[in-house]
Amino acid sequence: MYDTNRRVENAVTPDDIKIQARKVQVYYGDKHALKDVDVDILDKTVTAFIGPSGCGKSTFLRCINRMNDTIPIARVEGRILLDNEDIYDRRVDPVQLRAKVGMVFQKPNPFPKSIYDNVAYGPRIHGLARNRAELDGIVEGALRGAALWNEVKDRLGEPGTGLSGGQQQRLCIARAVATSPEVLLMDEPCSALDPIATAQVEELIEELRSRFSVVIVTHSMQQAARVSQKTAFFHLGNLVEYGDTDDIFTRPKDSRTEAYISGRIG
Amino acid sequence: MPLSWAILATFLLAAAGYIVGRSRAFASAGPDARQLHSRPTYHGASVALTALLPPLAVLAAGSMLRLAGVLTVGAMPVIGILALVAAIAGLGIGVTRIGQGYQARNAVERMVLGLLMLCSLIAIVTTLGIILSLVFETGRFFQLYDWKTFFFGTEWTPRFQGNSQLGIVPLLWGTLYVSAIALLVAVPIGLFAAVYMSEYASRRVRGVVKPAIEVLAGIPTIVYGLFALITVGPLLRDYFAQPLGLGNSGTSVLTAGLVMGIMLIPFVSSLSDDIINAVPQSLRDGALGLGSTPSETVRQVVLPAALPGIVGAVLLAASRAIGETMIVVLGAGAAAQMSLNPLEAMTTITVKIVSQLTGDSDFNSPETLVAFALGLTLFVITLALNVVALIIVRKYREQYE
Repeated sequence: MYDTNRRVENAVTPDDIKIQARKVQVYYGDKHALKDVDVDILDKTVTAFIGPSGCGKSTFLRCINRMNDTIPIARVEGRILLDNEDIYDRRVDPVQLRAKVGMVFQKPNPFPKSIYDNVAYGPRIHGLARNRAELDGIVEGALRGAALWNEVKDRLGEPGTGLSGGQQQRLCIARAVATSPEVLLMDEPCSALDPIATAQVEELIEELRSRFSVVIVTHSMQQAARVSQKTAFFHLGNLVEYGDTDDIFTRPKDSRTEAYISGRIG
Repeated sequence: MPLSWAILATFLLAAAGYIVGRSRAFASAGPDARQLHSRPTYHGASVALTALLPPLAVLAAGSMLRLAGVLTVGAMPVIGILALVAAIAGLGIGVTRIGQGYQARNAVERMVLGLLMLCSLIAIVTTLGIILSLVFETGRFFQLYDWKTFFFGTEWTPRFQGNSQLGIVPLLWGTLYVSAIALLVAVPIGLFAAVYMSEYASRRVRGVVKPAIEVLAGIPTIVYGLFALITVGPLLRDYFAQPLGLGNSGTSVLTAGLVMGIMLIPFVSSLSDDIINAVPQSLRDGALGLGSTPSETVRQVVLPAALPGIVGAVLLAASRAIGETMIVVLGAGAAAQMSLNPLEAMTTITVKIVSQLTGDSDFNSPETLVAFALGLTLFVITLALNVVALIIVRKYREQYE
């Protein structure tokens, strides 16, 4: 099992591109919500999407696992490659894609099931465990990975909805981790949490990076600076600037980025 | 008709009171209407209500006393005059109270609150009244007839010359049998229709399908009964009962059950649809985001989350099935018997209540009074089902608050 206090700094070479987006457009009905987005998301890296409300950052996040398919009026154009495979190709089944690209939502959304069944949900539907012992192992590993094991190990049979807000969100992270995704998308995972729970989740993100690529949408620039190595700034449906987090926050190239991080637009 | 004249006069007085109150309020305000504590319409309404409520109270009290036998018919004109006096007195008091400092708005709010409380009280008191009347008549029945024979007797042969066998068991059996078949039809179909409408159908399809299903709810049950009598019954007899050698009856439990099931479909589907829609979208997103298919999402997340509410809906449908009369009269027949064969005619409690009370009957023989005992039993059964359903639905609500 994983050591919860270990910090892993992975050296990432520029070749490890996990997701390549080219000329991505999203329309909601007549509204052009996302324009010409080109971005390369690296493996084993935390990438933060920042920008004012309605700038398209969540929309782009939802393109990566095709959650926009569930919105009838949404239309996506352009190409998004996951490991050089176009995820919008006709042969790609969004159900399989979402098993590889997990998602954690803004509001904790545990299922009205026990803590154990919440975490075991993904492994069960994807048949990841051959027997109960293996499933137990996956559940324990995921809960440890989400730094929740010690708090819930004696009450795995209790409903997940009975946990506190921060615990619920970590349960949802454990649930996503349990399917062993290759990419984890997080849509403002801390916006409903208090500072202590936020710190726990941020610590967790740092650890998750050792195993897969994490993409996080956040409204907090401090959070982006704390957890991410790469940052993308979105504004009015455009990807304005993308680069190393340090560069974005200290030496922004675009005047709009500078205005946003210094609090002049938002 | 002095009483109805009194009521009419009271309303006219109240209307006049509104107009007078309003204009007096304007007058007392002087040039600046902001001097008044309350807006003139509130002054008008307060005068109207003080003119209206006392006479209505007098009339209500008079009717009660009349019902209780304290007053005779001859006393009613006196009540009318009393009501009129009360209206005039109320009007006078209301008008004299108008002034800059009078808090008419607060007074009106209080009176409206009282009125609302009174209305909900009336609904409750009426229910109590129904129960009490059933209980008294049932009491009289049990003075004439042994309660053990009623509750445990397996024979139902009422004879108006006396010496009847009035056992409820065959009727209860018929009731439960028909209801069970109806639920077996309505619950799966209604539930799956609800799942389709809330989870799969596009907005356009849903806009057509949902009202189309709800049309079924608007059909009077006697029409369903006719359908059972002339179509379903003969069909089942000619193609199932006779070829299989299971009977020769045009009316059967199965006929009534099937048709009643169709009647209940919109009931189950629209209640379940509401409940399924109340399941937060975030749960669906969570399940889809983990790579569930839509049907896995429905089966493993949406339906379990909605289950208590759906159980409540089913229990409400069950209590409707148990209380249904017309479909059973025409579909299941009137033979009180206990049999497992669904293609045989049987009958239910509601049908027998009707048949015991139709025709010349005095309310003194056990053969007619038994109808009240049957009614009370039915009421207790459906009340119990409703209470259980409400408890379950309430528990379900707490889960999401």
